[in-house]
Amino acid sequence: MKGKVTGIILFVSLLLFGGCGPREENILNVGMELAYPPFEMTDTEGNPTGISVDMAHELGKFLGRPVKIWNISFDGLIPSLKTGKIDIVISSMTITEERSQSVTFSKPYSKAYLALLVSQDSPVEKVEDLNRKGRIIAVKKGTTGHLYAREHFPLARINVFDKESACVLEVVQKKADCFIYDQMTILTNWQKNRDTTRAILKPFQKDFEYWGMAMRKDDVELHRKVNEFLGSFKESGGFERLADKYLKEEKKTFEELGIPFFFSP
Amino acid sequence: MTKKWFNCFLRESDREAPSPCPSTLLNAFLVALFILLIFIFSFSRLEYDFHWAGVWAYRAKFIRGLGMTLVLSFFSLIVSFLLRSLFALGQKSRFLPFYFFSRFYVEIIRGTPLLVQILVFFYVIADAFRVQNRYVTGVMILSLFAGAYISEIIRAGIDSIGETQLETARSLGLTRFQQYRFIIFPQVFKRILPPLAGQLVSLIKDSSLLSIISVSEFTLNAQEVNAYTYSTLESYLPLALGYLLITYPISNLSKRLERAFSYET
Repeated sequence: MKGKVTGIILFVSLLLFGGCGPREENILNVGMELAYPPFEMTDTEGNPTGISVDMAHELGKFLGRPVKIWNISFDGLIPSLKTGKIDIVISSMTITEERSQSVTFSKPYSKAYLALLVSQDSPVEKVEDLNRKGRIIAVKKGTTGHLYAREHFPLARINVFDKESACVLEVVQKKADCFIYDQMTILTNWQKNRDTTRAILKPFQKDFEYWGMAMRKDDVELHRKVNEFLGSFKESGGFERLADKYLKEEKKTFEELGIPFFFSP
Repeated sequence: MTKKWFNCFLRESDREAPSPCPSTLLNAFLVALFILLIFIFSFSRLEYDFHWAGVWAYRAKFIRGLGMTLVLSFFSLIVSFLLRSLFALGQKSRFLPFYFFSRFYVEIIRGTPLLVQILVFFYVIADAFRVQNRYVTGVMILSLFAGAYISEIIRAGIDSIGETQLETARSLGLTRFQQYRFIIFPQVFKRILPPLAGQLVSLIKDSSLLSIISVSEFTLNAQEVNAYTYSTLESYLPLALGYLLITYPISNLSKRLERAFSYET
């Protein structure tokens, strides 16, 4: 009986305290949410693909480290980085002051701005119409759209969702006046729902949103090397190559509409 | 000597001699210490800087969320109470359409994920019937969900009363109402209390899934604070504590009621 108890205790403690071997040092663990085509997505077989994925592999080549991509929900990226589960975030993340307090960003590699997907019947014509009582704004949790709405539209009601598809559905079904997200996603969703939505693509922010790769604050070495990589990648025309590979149609649509194309590092 | 002290760790009925120490206190203390040690060990291994100040600033948001979860659970409980009684009777009904409807409802609800039910109910069914209020819809879904489980619990409880008891009751000349009032109900109540309390606890925790349709309950508020402050653990630990604060009194109350309703047989 006693032997059995000791055995169980030993087994449990092994379960609890075992398996804390050293982490694989050399692998570059890259975190991104694979839900933002064509930057972060999966192919039909479920393998990560997209502009950020290609960039991650280029970065790995530059550093001479094998790359492992981790699919993590957007609002979990920074916490995963801080707990050391991943080494770097390449997930179309905008550099903000708030985020900069907990992580360090590379120099910007792309820029974007927010746009509105407006419900067909909503009286909203421009951004200034949003900060009123009774307006309902759908946002995706943790995105710059969410943070922007919270700061600039305190009178409106802000409904927070996990997925951008839910936000679009809210607008389509007139449950929300508008959805604030980046220009390209708004454009694609408006094209899919022309009967029920309008798109306001005119930039309303004072400045572009700049995207950067996020790293831990104490990871100075990686930070330096990533900036070096971005410099050489730009010089060698890497961004144009990626834009040609993934953003051909978008580029054409933007030119037709006369809106400045945003993926222009 | 050792044998005497060993009595500290045995149930009162299993002891060979009276316990030489306050055994409830001692055992509770030991377990608490063990769990605490595991947590202290785990947290000490965690590469994570805790920043409670950021989250503390949002304490009102946590409290509002907790209040909303309580309100939602309370109303869902009442509505599901009505539903469950209806459907428990329905499953015993002699009228076939009513019987089949009850079976169908219970099987559909129990066999599909709550997540899908919420999405379909809110974006398809409620939308078709022009119910736009997400809180009302939320209570409806939760009630339907809990109702299916609870009606099964009640049905099983009633079925568990032996046929001989009913025969005896009939031969004593008790009316159908009297049979339920004096024979069935007192026994069923005691038997279904534990699963019922468990179901209520699940109901409270399941209400967190309503966050996907942006019902501003406890979990969504914690997730939002996480998005604003990038402090995952600081947001989610209070969340766990908050749920425990609601659910523990329920299981405690159920145990007390169980004792109050126990009869000698």
